[in-house]
Amino acid sequence: MKKNKIKAFEFYNCVMLISPTGQKASNLKEFLNIVEESEDKVVFHHLYQSPFKNEFKVLEYPNDFAQWAATSLEDMALAEKFANFDPYNFNNVNEAKIAVMEIIEEHLWDLVTVPWVRPGFEFYFSSSTTIIFRLDMRASSLAEFYDCIKQAPLGSIYYHFYEARKRNNDKEKDDFSSWLIEELDEKEAAGDLKEIDFYFYSLIEAKEKILTIIRHRLHKNEQVK
Amino acid sequence: MNKLNDYADIVGKNYINQLKSLAINLKKKKVIMVNSTKDGGGVAEILHRLVPLLNELGIQTKWETISGDSDFFNTTKNIHNALQGQKICFPREMLEHYLEVNKKNSEKFEFSEDFVFIHDPQPLPIIRHFNKNKSKWIWRCHIDLSKPDLSLWKFLKSYLLQYDASIFSIAKFTRVLPHPQYLVPPSIDPLSDKNKELEKSEIDDVISSFGINSDKPIILQVSRFDRFKGPLGVINAYRMVKKEINCQLILAGGEASDDPEGKIVYDEVRQEAGNDPDIKLLLLKPNSNIEINVLQRIADVIIQNSSKEGFGLVVTEALWKRKPVIGGAVGGITLQIINHQTGFLIHSDEGAAFRIRYLLNRKHISEKMGKLAREYVLNNFLITRHLRDYLSIMIALENKNKHIVQL
Repeated sequence: MKKNKIKAFEFYNCVMLISPTGQKASNLKEFLNIVEESEDKVVFHHLYQSPFKNEFKVLEYPNDFAQWAATSLEDMALAEKFANFDPYNFNNVNEAKIAVMEIIEEHLWDLVTVPWVRPGFEFYFSSSTTIIFRLDMRASSLAEFYDCIKQAPLGSIYYHFYEARKRNNDKEKDDFSSWLIEELDEKEAAGDLKEIDFYFYSLIEAKEKILTIIRHRLHKNEQVK
Repeated sequence: MNKLNDYADIVGKNYINQLKSLAINLKKKKVIMVNSTKDGGGVAEILHRLVPLLNELGIQTKWETISGDSDFFNTTKNIHNALQGQKICFPREMLEHYLEVNKKNSEKFEFSEDFVFIHDPQPLPIIRHFNKNKSKWIWRCHIDLSKPDLSLWKFLKSYLLQYDASIFSIAKFTRVLPHPQYLVPPSIDPLSDKNKELEKSEIDDVISSFGINSDKPIILQVSRFDRFKGPLGVINAYRMVKKEINCQLILAGGEASDDPEGKIVYDEVRQEAGNDPDIKLLLLKPNSNIEINVLQRIADVIIQNSSKEGFGLVVTEALWKRKPVIGGAVGGITLQIINHQTGFLIHSDEGAAFRIRYLLNRKHISEKMGKLAREYVLNNFLITRHLRDYLSIMIALENKNKHIVQL
């Protein structure tokens, strides 16, 4: 049921600073060893933050590991395995890291030789610092929410629609759909947002999808009136 | 001088507000930038814009340079080359003089600022003369460190270890270090004389002052006369193309006051060019920004035939002017040229010749790539992004060891 007193949605933005570790892998065995000894923040950056890092590009692969396997290692089978891997299905980064290592180990098991990259195509490991700050944007109705999202920078979409799932430790719980349910009782729109296959979209694409869903909902509400 | 809000037309008001939001957290902080020249080269160019913009955002920022004699700059040029992989022997007295000049320079600084940004190797060892106290020292490396001369690297690393953080242009240049490293690609200023839109009359003036024949397609390389920029290879590629297409070549190079080798390389290039009336060598004066802007706009094909490159801002400038670039597949060029999309990465003079012909013969593809190139620079390589990165680094250093910083 719609609340009498609606708590406004406060929009936040974030920027990302990339911190290379200085480590690089020239072949898949080396890559596996470095992943194994890497801190969670390194794995997090490469598996979860690709859409944010490449916010304007539509990349074929959803994470850095798959991208490297395809374009540098030129091992398409491994790229496909990484691409189909969804880190949000794991409880934490460490579990996702162990799953990645298992994929590599199994893949290496079936290979006769360890695949190498040409010089210049090594994988460079990084972590990141994410800086979060409040935007001067608040929404108390669906129409205001739509306008705010339209203006929101892509960092804001990342923070509320991607990073939130890690923060909430729940793949299904992004900030947008939670607010639509809790404050506006917009279960249908929230359900549609949850349906977005976000991990496979660039931020620009995800933003478009969100806007389309809210626009449809606004249109429907208008018709009911 | 352009103000921050002037960039809103290009990057959007949201982006400018984002910068202001970040800067609020650094109010009253003091910053000093130190490098070795205010004239010539990409570093000076960036600092000329970054420093006033940081001040406008309320962060008191000073820019100082170190001074030295010609022996010092010859040494630092050799250090630069050796860090980029050239085998050079450094006699002990040479490195001692390098340290001595840094010591002398240290006397004119206090370094009481909150953040001390030291740019490139020239002033790197100055840190050893200071008790760091509350200041955060950051070494900003603009050069290709992917395969430095090992003994020189060990020598410089002993000073680098005293810093709180270092910044590199691309991941390939980073090394394993005990302090945080950050990635900050360089940037261009879209409103500077070198990159702003020009009136037709301004373009015509430069064409006539240089005596450029507009009837033949122009192949252009703008760069210092430096062996790592491969000017002789460009002439070689031009000669291969010339057999098929009646074109002309312009090699335009600026001079940097900290580069004593420029004149020698210029003479070598002049000799190679011989009497070919279709090869024009332009030794540009410092601040020939409008001239470079015009040359990049009138060129049919732009090339950057580098064999080593820190980043290659000149590539960014050309991409911004909607020109696909043919560039050596090295350093930061690989970050800017998305092969077959914003230009072509090449590995030989033959490759350069082939891609020059490709672009001269396929104008429609060249235009399409140019459009994408402009968009790519807009989103990744403008001064506003650079400013955001510097603000973020200062905030990150104030919140050391935090992977997520909530302001």
